[in-house]
Amino acid sequence: MIQMFHVTKAYPGDPPTLVDINLDIGKAEFVFLTGPSGAGKSTLLKLMFLAERPTRGQILIAGRNIARLRESGIPYLRRNIGVVFQDFKLLPNRTVAENVGFTLDVIGTDRDEVRERSVKMLRRVGLEHKADVSPLKLSGGEQQRVSLCRALVNDPAILLADEPTGNLDPALTVEMMDLLNDVNARGTTVVVATHDASLIGRYQKRTLRLEKGTVTADEKGAKAARLMALDT
Amino acid sequence: MSALSNTSYFVRTALGSMWRSPFVHVIAVASLALALVGYGVARVASDQLEHLIQSLGSDVELTVYLADDAPADQVEALRLALEQRTHGVAVVVTPAQALGRLAQQLGEDGRALTELTENPLPASLEVKLPAEGRDATALKALAAQTRSLAFVTGVDYGEEALERLSMIAKALRLVGLVVFALVFVTAVIIVSATLQLAIFARREEIEIQKLVGGTDRFVRMPFLIEGLLQGLLAGGGALAAMVGLVRYLESDRGASVAFLRLNGHLAVDWVRLGSEQLGLGLSLGLLGSFVAVRRFLRV
Repeated sequence: MIQMFHVTKAYPGDPPTLVDINLDIGKAEFVFLTGPSGAGKSTLLKLMFLAERPTRGQILIAGRNIARLRESGIPYLRRNIGVVFQDFKLLPNRTVAENVGFTLDVIGTDRDEVRERSVKMLRRVGLEHKADVSPLKLSGGEQQRVSLCRALVNDPAILLADEPTGNLDPALTVEMMDLLNDVNARGTTVVVATHDASLIGRYQKRTLRLEKGTVTADEKGAKAARLMALDT
Repeated sequence: MSALSNTSYFVRTALGSMWRSPFVHVIAVASLALALVGYGVARVASDQLEHLIQSLGSDVELTVYLADDAPADQVEALRLALEQRTHGVAVVVTPAQALGRLAQQLGEDGRALTELTENPLPASLEVKLPAEGRDATALKALAAQTRSLAFVTGVDYGEEALERLSMIAKALRLVGLVVFALVFVTAVIIVSATLQLAIFARREEIEIQKLVGGTDRFVRMPFLIEGLLQGLLAGGGALAAMVGLVRYLESDRGASVAFLRLNGHLAVDWVRLGSEQLGLGLSLGLLGSFVAVRRFLRV
């Protein structure tokens, strides 16, 4: 589903953020992306949802080579990728339901259907009673869940989440992870960037460790949990 | 369904944006409307004076003096040719008719004319010109051509008066064009400045739209519709203001411009003025938003 071949990303005047990355994430796979701050996790996610283009190398998303993709084709590819941002990126002047429905608005979904699907999605994370309030009135954890709803409401083939449990208490973290697992079980490829060692230890999914812009480890199961010990 | 949903979304977004920052939009619509009223006033004034020129010049005619020995068939051929050329009505005035008219005009003094042993007045062709034929340049050319014809001894058409009136009409058209150009530039600047603010206010929304798969067209459309709505409101407002202004001028309170009225009314072609103001408002609104979107919206 996501393939990278010798991908390097460098910003002018700075040392490369990512160096010669090679990876292959299959369909319906669940992958944790970990590593110290500044290792390049967020940049790698940005390359995956085409917010950035690689300086060198090739990236294939759902079999499509993004180097050959025209600018006008990017929106259509992005509609298959849900993203949960670290800073939520919710619009304060829209209601919670409108924020969730934003993803459906851009593909021209009927207004009533947008509302219906948004509220249904909010129900899955226990926030349907907040559908008509401003996101500003929500706690950090609630905003995180709204952001997840917006990413999932269009049933994307790929879900990318940048620290999705960063603002959640332990109980809500479990709830969020159950939701991600559920989405993954339905066939969505999930990539989660996280610092949370307990998550990786508990869920024992495939884990990619990034350090100074390169992949230093790619493990599954118990070995993945040990990767995090390097950080603690 | 998708196109319909999109259109409904674009209109809702544009209206929402206008609703959220009403002050900026009211200023923009009012300025645009004011500019359109300026254009409308220039247009109505120009039309009005054009009508006045036409009514003043309803007697404009071309008089072609004929030689005494001009044969009747040649005179008839010339009469027909002039009618065809000018789309007007040409009549032959015999020397006797001309003398009779002169005597009538002179009244008491005209009796002296009966003393004449010979009629000194020539026969002539009088051509009454239709409104569209009263263009000074065309008449000048026609007069010059007619003068060179056989049996024509002279041509008269009140050149000076007609040329002066035509110059006034030309000056008015020029003023109209200048006003139009000013309106054009001002309106585009105003609309694009308003939308620059709207784009800035909605930068987060634009970023998210792009991230969730919104196309460039999807991002741009609400701004273009916002410009269109501004133009429509301004055009409608300007038209309403013009209706009010014309009614005022036609009322007793507008007595100072009574000399401009024809049969107690100002001659205003409302269908044309309405289409021009709405069409101009829409076009300028759209152009202004297009400039703003091209210059300031980085998608």
